[in-house]
Amino acid sequence: MKMKVAWAALAVLAVTATGCGSDSGSDAGSGKTTITFWDNNGGTRTPIYQELIKRFEAANPSIHVEYVGIPIASVQQKYDTAIAGGDTPDVGGVTTSYLANLTGQQALEPADDWLAKSPVNGKLAQSMLDSVRKTVPDGKLYMVPNTSNMDVIWYLKDKLKQEPQTWDEFFKDADELTKKPDEYGYTIRGGAGSIFQVLAEMYSYSGISEFFDASGKSTVNDPKNAEFLTKMAGLYKKDTPEADVTNDFPKMVAQFGTGKIAMMHHNLGSYNDHVKAHGKDNIGAFALPTGPGGKRTIVANPVDGFAVFKNSEHKDAAWKFVEFLVSHESNSYWNQQTGQIPANTEAQADPWVQELPHLKMAVDTLNDPNTQVVSPPYYLPQFSSITKAETEPLFQKVLLGQMKPQEFLDTLAQKLTDAQAEWKKATGG
Amino acid sequence: MSADVMIRPRTRAVPAGARRRRRRDPGRVLRLYIPLGMYLLFTLVPFYWMLVFALRPAGSNAPVPWPITFEHFETVWNDIGYAVFFKNSVIVGVWSLLCTTVIAVMGGYALARYRFRGRNLFMVVLLCTQFIPGAMMLIPLFSIFKTLGLINSLGSLVIADTVFNLPLSIILMSGFISAVPYTVEEAAMVDGCTRLRGFLAIVLPQLRPGLIAVGSFAFIHTWNNFLFALMFVSKQDSFTIPVGLSYTIGEYSADFGALAAGGVVAALPVVCVFAVIQRYLVHGISAGAVKG
Amino acid sequence: MTTMRRRAVPYLLISPTVVLIAAFLVYPIGSVAYYSLQHRNLTRPWADGFAGLDNFRQMLFEDEVFWHSLGFTAKWVAVEIALQLILGLALALIVNESFIGRGLARSLVFSPWAVSGVLTTGIWILLYTPSTGVLRFLGRPEAAVLGNPDTVFPAVVVAELWRGVPFFAILLLAGLQGIPGELYEAAAVDGAGRVRRFLHVTLPHLRDAIVLATLLRGVWEFNNVDLLYTLTGGGPAQVTTTLPLYVAQRAVDSKDFGYGSALTMAGFVILLFCSILYLRLSRFGEER
Repeated sequence: MKMKVAWAALAVLAVTATGCGSDSGSDAGSGKTTITFWDNNGGTRTPIYQELIKRFEAANPSIHVEYVGIPIASVQQKYDTAIAGGDTPDVGGVTTSYLANLTGQQALEPADDWLAKSPVNGKLAQSMLDSVRKTVPDGKLYMVPNTSNMDVIWYLKDKLKQEPQTWDEFFKDADELTKKPDEYGYTIRGGAGSIFQVLAEMYSYSGISEFFDASGKSTVNDPKNAEFLTKMAGLYKKDTPEADVTNDFPKMVAQFGTGKIAMMHHNLGSYNDHVKAHGKDNIGAFALPTGPGGKRTIVANPVDGFAVFKNSEHKDAAWKFVEFLVSHESNSYWNQQTGQIPANTEAQADPWVQELPHLKMAVDTLNDPNTQVVSPPYYLPQFSSITKAETEPLFQKVLLGQMKPQEFLDTLAQKLTDAQAEWKKATGG
Repeated sequence: MSADVMIRPRTRAVPAGARRRRRRDPGRVLRLYIPLGMYLLFTLVPFYWMLVFALRPAGSNAPVPWPITFEHFETVWNDIGYAVFFKNSVIVGVWSLLCTTVIAVMGGYALARYRFRGRNLFMVVLLCTQFIPGAMMLIPLFSIFKTLGLINSLGSLVIADTVFNLPLSIILMSGFISAVPYTVEEAAMVDGCTRLRGFLAIVLPQLRPGLIAVGSFAFIHTWNNFLFALMFVSKQDSFTIPVGLSYTIGEYSADFGALAAGGVVAALPVVCVFAVIQRYLVHGISAGAVKG
Repeated sequence: MTTMRRRAVPYLLISPTVVLIAAFLVYPIGSVAYYSLQHRNLTRPWADGFAGLDNFRQMLFEDEVFWHSLGFTAKWVAVEIALQLILGLALALIVNESFIGRGLARSLVFSPWAVSGVLTTGIWILLYTPSTGVLRFLGRPEAAVLGNPDTVFPAVVVAELWRGVPFFAILLLAGLQGIPGELYEAAAVDGAGRVRRFLHVTLPHLRDAIVLATLLRGVWEFNNVDLLYTLTGGGPAQVTTTLPLYVAQRAVDSKDFGYGSALTMAGFVILLFCSILYLRLSRFGEER
């Protein structure tokens, strides 16, 4: 009998709960246009977009924006499923690291016509527009840049007193800051996302300026890159925790968050997490050091922005929303909240950019004419799969001493060279 | 396996006297309390660690949640929007529990009590559905739901989760139904009950532990299903708790405090409900006997 | 009831299940089989098309990771299921006794089952990462259980046991309730000790429940990827890559859906073969 009561109670609960659920429906019929916006990094950035959408809807009462936050780890799977099922959003957050995959599936609408007539035309950073255009074979603008990022090394000021300028100084610092049993100078990213970081480090050391040489061969396995990788792999377990070999971002940040590790390589985007854990005054950042050549070399990070999807039924409203997001005020607000580099040049000139030390450093480094920028082949649809699933386990072998650095780089270079050749053939380039 | 071979005639008696004897047994400490204590320790240390992270400030390394803070709970409840996710999880979980259990009792009864043509094939098909990871079926499932107009509704989650819970639940349920002696049911039918009434009055009460096991299985699988919840729904106010949990750990931010706080919010009600219903994991002998 | 109607009853009872499976699972499973014969790779759209047995040839003859993952999957499923069964049975027997605080003990030991995969992995990451974990309080501040190829296997096994044992415990506890008390008393009168009562009364009665639970859980452990994916990513250096984890890496991460489908079909055939063999060998459902 009690059992029946319990089931009945559950049923009633379910019915009432469903009843409550149905009142959160859409506002169809009220004459409003509703567009859907997918945030490709839902979670901590949700409140930023909610604020911006509030402002947008106040300025455009006839448009309602429906926000959907997609967890960043699953965003590509979500897009791929939605595209295959024909159920894409109107506007979506995308980055150049998977832009080639999306355009390969003919999912996006080019922004060129809209931009030509838009008031933000001429106010978006040319370098970012270029790197978006370079991602696709037809050179069109399939994504409107919102922000850019840069690899930096975060450090704790109470541990590291003087920022290293060269990798040799860095290795020395890492060693000196390591105090057994559990204080370490550095933490290596050995798990998911490792290859991109190690690429950035190697090129900053070797100073090589192109990913492929004139004959289309990858430069990844250059002896100077291998020299660096050997040094870096030598730090493992000596000046870094043993756990590093499976470090993905959450584990790396969990380790750094305890204050036992002096330096950590990531990018500007994790600023807020570090401030939360260590306080504004104890956290510092420097650009990746230079190698023996002394030339500052950085590997271009993916550019993050917004795309309008081809299947959108409200493209005008969608472009209006994109325009609002990359306008001076919104773009400034977004990047100030996240601590990243604004795409809008007016926003770049805002005073807060100069007041955030890590951001000022990044902007100065990028704008320095002596800085050499290497562009990874984001246009290769295979690039992300080669640098993730296919070679991350091999990098772990390097750290564990089961594979020689040169052998690892040769494998990686071969894959990139083959992919480049195949892509050239397929696109007729 | 025919209906009659499953008959295991038995009578029951509550071994109350035996229990009282056992309570004075000094070996109980060794046999019962020490292993239980060790297992509890294994179970509770991770929960304790979750509480520590949920309640202590970010950046702290203390092994105890002190100084205590509720900032992580504010983050998940207000900023991330757990209130809505929580409600959705309850709706989807309860509905798929009900659907799964009802259909599984029907299917399980057929498997346990009848020998029909195609029975073995049915068993094999049930098993086969479990052999393919959900991730590989996402796109075709998505197309089906889109055709049926179910995308973006909690209904798609209820259906998808029910479909994936069913095969396991039916097989388990048939096991539990087989364990209830058929003679009891026959007796009821001789008394003039229809088969259905006999089942409801006699078998169902005895199935309590099985219903609890299968029901909680269905509920918990649904409650925890992240992939379907994210892929078949593209509406912020229709997401469920696992999606909310995954918000806290990403490439630019890994907020373990918020993850842990969200985890407490997600786990607490389930643990509490379980604490209440575990009592029914005891066979419903008295109810069956009275009605019979 | 006429004979015709009586015959229809089981079909009526299974009809909702059949309809649901036909509507929602036949086409998706068929599409996996179809794509296993296709080249379908989002990162190489120009090479898509009929593949014949190409994917299978590559899998069987050129892919070391496939063979390695098969070996690891077998080890993973066997160890997990054996330990979950032993601990789950022990736990079910313990909480089937009556003692003060039994309700509380039951809900506590069952509770990890209620914790979602995302969260389970989150908790175990914190526990195992040296600087955030518990090992440093046990005097091992540098021990990196997940980073060391020698310790990673026991580490992931323990984490999976944490949430897997309650499943067995609940099912077996429910099964224990079906054993008539007087059988124990009769055995006790015959002078059977605790061990003999367990071997001759408890185990035979639980046989079907054990066979079912191990089979279903075995299939589940085979296909389940969330814990390994997040905890180790299949590493270090792929020592903890199961076949379905490899499927996820190829089909989802690398977007090679054709090859991922071929790998999935391999898993399907293996599971089908093993399940039928297991049911035959265990003589499931036969009267003794």
